[in-house]
Amino acid sequence: MTDTEQLTRELDELETAAKTYDAQHEFIENFAWPDGTQIAVNFTCDFDTMLFRRYLEETPMQLAQGEFGGRVGIWRLIELFDGNGVTATIFTPGRICELYPQSLVAAHKAGFEIADHMWEHHVPKDMQLEHDHIQKSTTALEKTVGKRPIGTRSRHTNSLLLEEGYIYNSHGSAAHLPYYERDADGENCMINLPFHYAIDDAMFFSFAWLSSENAAQRITDPNRVLDLWWDAFDQQYGQGGYLNICLHPFVSGRAMRIEMLDRLIARMKTRPGVWFPSCEDVARYCLNAFPAKES
Amino acid sequence: MPWKDGYTISDEITLFDDAVRWPDVNRVCMTVMLDLSLASGPQGLTAADLRHSPATFGMNEGLAQVRATLKRFGITATVTVPAAMARIMPDAVKTLRDDGHEIAAQGLKHEDVSILSRDEEAARLAMTTEILEELNGQRPEGWFSLPRPNDPFAVGTVSPNTHDLLIDAGYRYMGNGLSDDIPHYWVTNFESERAILTLPYFYHFDDQFFLMFPKKGTGLEHADTLFANWNAEFDAQYKRGRYFNMTLHPYAVGWCNRLKLLEDFLTRISELSDVWNPTAGEVVSYWLRAYPKESALKLEPSIWKDYAGSLS
Repeated sequence: MTDTEQLTRELDELETAAKTYDAQHEFIENFAWPDGTQIAVNFTCDFDTMLFRRYLEETPMQLAQGEFGGRVGIWRLIELFDGNGVTATIFTPGRICELYPQSLVAAHKAGFEIADHMWEHHVPKDMQLEHDHIQKSTTALEKTVGKRPIGTRSRHTNSLLLEEGYIYNSHGSAAHLPYYERDADGENCMINLPFHYAIDDAMFFSFAWLSSENAAQRITDPNRVLDLWWDAFDQQYGQGGYLNICLHPFVSGRAMRIEMLDRLIARMKTRPGVWFPSCEDVARYCLNAFPAKES
Repeated sequence: MPWKDGYTISDEITLFDDAVRWPDVNRVCMTVMLDLSLASGPQGLTAADLRHSPATFGMNEGLAQVRATLKRFGITATVTVPAAMARIMPDAVKTLRDDGHEIAAQGLKHEDVSILSRDEEAARLAMTTEILEELNGQRPEGWFSLPRPNDPFAVGTVSPNTHDLLIDAGYRYMGNGLSDDIPHYWVTNFESERAILTLPYFYHFDDQFFLMFPKKGTGLEHADTLFANWNAEFDAQYKRGRYFNMTLHPYAVGWCNRLKLLEDFLTRISELSDVWNPTAGEVVSYWLRAYPKESALKLEPSIWKDYAGSLS
């Protein structure tokens, strides 16, 4: 016989799960960019090179592939953005300061934002160690470029990030536009600059990304991605939106992809009102113009 | 970069475009690797790898087709040969050599050496060298460890000892690495700056990852994407004056429409007068003279610190 009470409890649980998670998000109403700006495009780099591969204990050749990002790719991206007047944001694991310090100094000097991407590209489960990692990464980045990072791309705990002076995160895709995110208990609100895996180079150009099997590999060519990302830009431009393009120096630093990105940026610039700020600029604008409601 | 054992294999920054020069008036260097291996996975060649119709095609008509195409366009290749394949098709290897292509080594059975002891790996390396030397009349100068279709990653596998053993065995270069898109030094010892020159490889220009990959099935044929990548990377590297490498497998690229795309690509190349197309050994000789390790390699001591709760 059907146990309607049990089924009702299950429906209640589903409703609670959706509503409590949804309640952690605060979307900005009547959002608008500064006068004259139709869209903000954040070019962001996840500069983890071989560090994450090392953490996963991948093979020497995989580490060598990551090393391309630090030796070659990051320099090409710096040149690309600098030459196009794009203020990029480089999300950098603190440990990179001990591996590729010269590139970070160069990126900072070019006017780019150096932000955090976890000390060693992972968030420790133990909260005390997590705090230790945030502090280590923050200190390393500040020491290397002379400016304390205020943004992160990570799943770090909001309360710890706020304690260390962070003002924004850039992860997840709960909305196209920047939105506020709180802890499960409704506290520790931070602005989030969303990015979507569909606008992430590794999804198109990297083999075995995120443990995907060989039969799942569909490595593609630059022109196809140019078309897809142009459509993404065009769609968001039409509604006064936001685009966050996530690039990995070991992936997008390849010559054919730098060339594609150059064409993409040139095409974006044919439109009026395209803003290429740092993530910090976007975060500060949102916090100032559309502060979070009192929680 | 500041050296870090177990993380890095070379120095911190590549040679930028304006520092890269090629012999004579050449603007770009292009190498072609012709891989004779039919190994499907890390175990190296198995009987099953050799007993299916695409393998037979690769050893016969496919190879003949690709060989004729290379000849027609005047392209010089470097042939990567597992010792097992040299024994299976010695005449084909000799014919490729007589065409002017370089014969390079690719393991005993093109197996993953990372699970072997150092002694075992050294013994297999010596045996491979001997077999290829006996066939070819000279020792191979270069060693390859190209990826196989069923490897977990598309990068090739080496052990922590491989490069060191290659130097010991007198090899002049390692044929595939991914830390740069020009030749670069793979350092095996920081203090002594012991290193072996390594040539760039990237799987986006390797036919096997686009042509019915990883095996037959629906939606797995992307010859057009491969062709687009060859063109896009060649054009970008030509503009920069750097290096382009493509990796071909006769069983894959030798098949009708795929072969046509290869020919379309080579037609474009043949219209340019400033593309240098050496064998791997030739580009290595040039690089060692023009960019010797003593001046080109800029190693810096480690600044890495060990902490509790962090990677070491």
